[in-house]
Amino acid sequence: MERLSEELRGICGASAVLTEPVQLLTYECDALPHLRESPAIVVLPASAAQVQAVVRVCAREGVPFVARGHGTGLSGGALPVPGGVVISLARLNRVLDIDIPNRQVTVEPGVTNLEITRQVAPFGYYYAPDPSSQQVCSIGGNVAENSGGAHCLKYGFTVHHVLEVEAVMPDGSLTRIGSRLADEPGPDVLGLLVGSEGTLAIVTKVVVRILRRPETVQTLLAAYDSISAAGTAVSEIIAAGIIPAAVEMMDALAIRAAEAAVHPNFPPADTILIVELDGPVAEVRDLFATVEAICRRTGASTVEVAADEAHRLRIWKGRKAAFAAMGRVSPNYYVQDGVVPRTKLPEVLGRIRALSERSGLGIGNVFHAGDGNLHPLICYDESVPGQAELAEKVAGEILTYCVEAGGSITGEHGVGADKKNYMPRMFSEDDLDAFQQVRDAFDPQRICNPGKVLPTPRLCGEVPGPYREHPVERAGLAERF
Amino acid sequence: MTVVDHARQGTPGEAVDGVTPRFVAEPTSGAAFAAALAAAAGGRLSTVIRGGGTKSGWGRPVDAVDLVLSTKSLADLLVHRDGDLTATVGAGVTLARLNTTLSARGQWLPVDSAFLGTTIGGLLATNDSGPLRQRFGTPRDLLIGITLALTDGRVVKAGGTVVKNVAGYDLGKLVTGSHGTLAAIVDATFKLLPLPHASATLRAVYTDPEPLAADAAAIAAGQLEPLAFDVRVADTPDGPRWTLFVRFASSPVAVSTQLEAARALVHGEPTALREGLETRAWSEQVGLAWESDPSTALGAGAVVRCSWLPSRLGELLGLLRALRAECGVTFTGRVGAGSGLLRLTGSDAAVGAAVERLRLDTSPVGHVVLLRASRPLRAQVDVWGAAPSAPAAALKRALDPASILNAGRGPL
Repeated sequence: MERLSEELRGICGASAVLTEPVQLLTYECDALPHLRESPAIVVLPASAAQVQAVVRVCAREGVPFVARGHGTGLSGGALPVPGGVVISLARLNRVLDIDIPNRQVTVEPGVTNLEITRQVAPFGYYYAPDPSSQQVCSIGGNVAENSGGAHCLKYGFTVHHVLEVEAVMPDGSLTRIGSRLADEPGPDVLGLLVGSEGTLAIVTKVVVRILRRPETVQTLLAAYDSISAAGTAVSEIIAAGIIPAAVEMMDALAIRAAEAAVHPNFPPADTILIVELDGPVAEVRDLFATVEAICRRTGASTVEVAADEAHRLRIWKGRKAAFAAMGRVSPNYYVQDGVVPRTKLPEVLGRIRALSERSGLGIGNVFHAGDGNLHPLICYDESVPGQAELAEKVAGEILTYCVEAGGSITGEHGVGADKKNYMPRMFSEDDLDAFQQVRDAFDPQRICNPGKVLPTPRLCGEVPGPYREHPVERAGLAERF
Repeated sequence: MTVVDHARQGTPGEAVDGVTPRFVAEPTSGAAFAAALAAAAGGRLSTVIRGGGTKSGWGRPVDAVDLVLSTKSLADLLVHRDGDLTATVGAGVTLARLNTTLSARGQWLPVDSAFLGTTIGGLLATNDSGPLRQRFGTPRDLLIGITLALTDGRVVKAGGTVVKNVAGYDLGKLVTGSHGTLAAIVDATFKLLPLPHASATLRAVYTDPEPLAADAAAIAAGQLEPLAFDVRVADTPDGPRWTLFVRFASSPVAVSTQLEAARALVHGEPTALREGLETRAWSEQVGLAWESDPSTALGAGAVVRCSWLPSRLGELLGLLRALRAECGVTFTGRVGAGSGLLRLTGSDAAVGAAVERLRLDTSPVGHVVLLRASRPLRAQVDVWGAAPSAPAAALKRALDPASILNAGRGPL
């Protein structure tokens, strides 16, 4: 290892190679702090050529490496391999090109998601995917995780907004994947790479498309006395041919927590529904009237339309604060990320409520109702013996409900190290073997972020861990979903 | 006989690009499809997967095809979960049948193919699209799950039936655009969209391409949100004609308002198209490049696909105008926001020269693919225009180690 770190110092400079235990601490985990491993070396290259040289050395020595952006991932995707190398892309943080006429921006992977929007906002454009950590998360991490956000019902995920990447392959070769031009002939390798959780290559340059800011945005909040009534409203909105920019729901426990934390002045309700429409003024005005009528018809006790931008932001603040606010109503809590078909929401939420009663643990629900992406927040008290373990079991049980309803074990946080052992619940042995075959085509030595995504060994009993506040959340820089 | 179960002799009617296959089979399930592929791989049979056969002339010419595996019997599956805005369909279901079924519940898979008989498998394998891509992207953007039959005999799935899902590798996107070179598509799951309540199109005719390009840029830079956006280019005996089409679909009021806003922006001669006129105009536009040109004795004409950065639209239109003088071809086609299809009519030598011209480093276009052309021309010109990337080649070796799929015709 000493020889290896010397060689890496030769490539990146002495200050870019960390080996002291105290320096390595920061890199032991991402935003899923219960999974920790100490790497042997952390290296911070400053260019694609340096990344390439580092990977070449790792490949020659057969040393596993893990790429890391800004460490905001929620599935342990950047968990180091013991004795391996962590390659931080934090220093590759330049915006390389802003091409407004072609609506494309080229950045290095360490640029934050929100920085792209900041750069193009003066021209009236923005970058659509908006994970809640967007102030701090890196675009390289977004590519790895195929990050979504509150607006992906209408605008899709990272994979719909990345046009081309430059990537260092696990053998150290540098290649371009995808194209700034449409219709590149051949299989969509870029579509495979986006969301591969850093297991196929390390991205060193990303070309994204940017969108024109919509002419207007309108938001309403409707209060319901049951989740099924709110669910009916969502169904009717979609049946009316409307695809909102966002459709969010919160249940009573989440509402109570948000109210305690940021006082958004939400009306008292069993369920709150937030609907946002954006687009040309004429369209939004017209469709918004329909949405409002549907909310009233389906039994909303109050319908509050955001009168101005400040009002709209207050609604979103309450919605986005619900997660961190859980700390106000419970000493500890777990966050889960699962997906069900939208029409199964009432049924699965009913099962989750029954599970809450049976287990004695409070479960708050905040979710992207438009696409069925649930984020149950499981409350527990780790000072009560056995409750942390019970909470883990409850979190796992919820994933079972999601899979049984025809959904997924993860909608946006990724599989990573955290959920790899749940993969057999969704995929057969043959499916997983095919994934491995594809992975081996990129990484025959199995050194690129090993131990993530696919169960190794299959079916051993790792379970997802309890939520602990990440430093960036404590600093008020980000919420989780 | 062949090693493949239930295979029969191929007939001239089942020819692939003019070559009669030795054997044809129609496996009736994903498992049977995978078994046939495994047998073909074991016997090193050069194998072509066929859906509706609407694009079977695409790719490099072949001398021999051992086996055609038809997806015709994978057409039973069609599950429409209208409340979830998703559908799962067998690879052999045609796009037309799928959309007829979906429309009964006010939904659609918003892809416009020029080929009426195109199947879902073929649509994905070629990532076929039309002017609707302006709003909805190409099939890869709508695909959320897939079942594949692999050449090692296994049936595997990736993705799922929910629109938001990041578990596992996205093998669906991987096979999109692979032209049947990696695996056979058994079924696919898509996210759907509600059918719009109203639609109208602004057509504007120009005598010169420059103002059209400027108007296109102005519309793109504004806050109108067209459903489709396309340019018709046609070289007529009276000189080239340039026509811009912009379609809006939403609520009736929103459509009218946006149409008027667009009308105020454009400098060409505008006409508003609605209902039957609108449907006919788009149907012509989608199929434009593929029709035969009745004014020439030179056959149907070659079809070239290419793409460009939107800012270079004006340069592309200028280049088209020069093609007749430089290469001796006439052109007709559709040109969208960044990609399009051109029918080039002329001798093989002239078309070959035009393709070379489009591929020059100084050309405003890239990814120039020769989709339709005579066999001799396709033998002479590199139809795909580029060698596969290293990762694509590695994936081909992993998923089709015997290299049996698509008989060397595809991009891999």
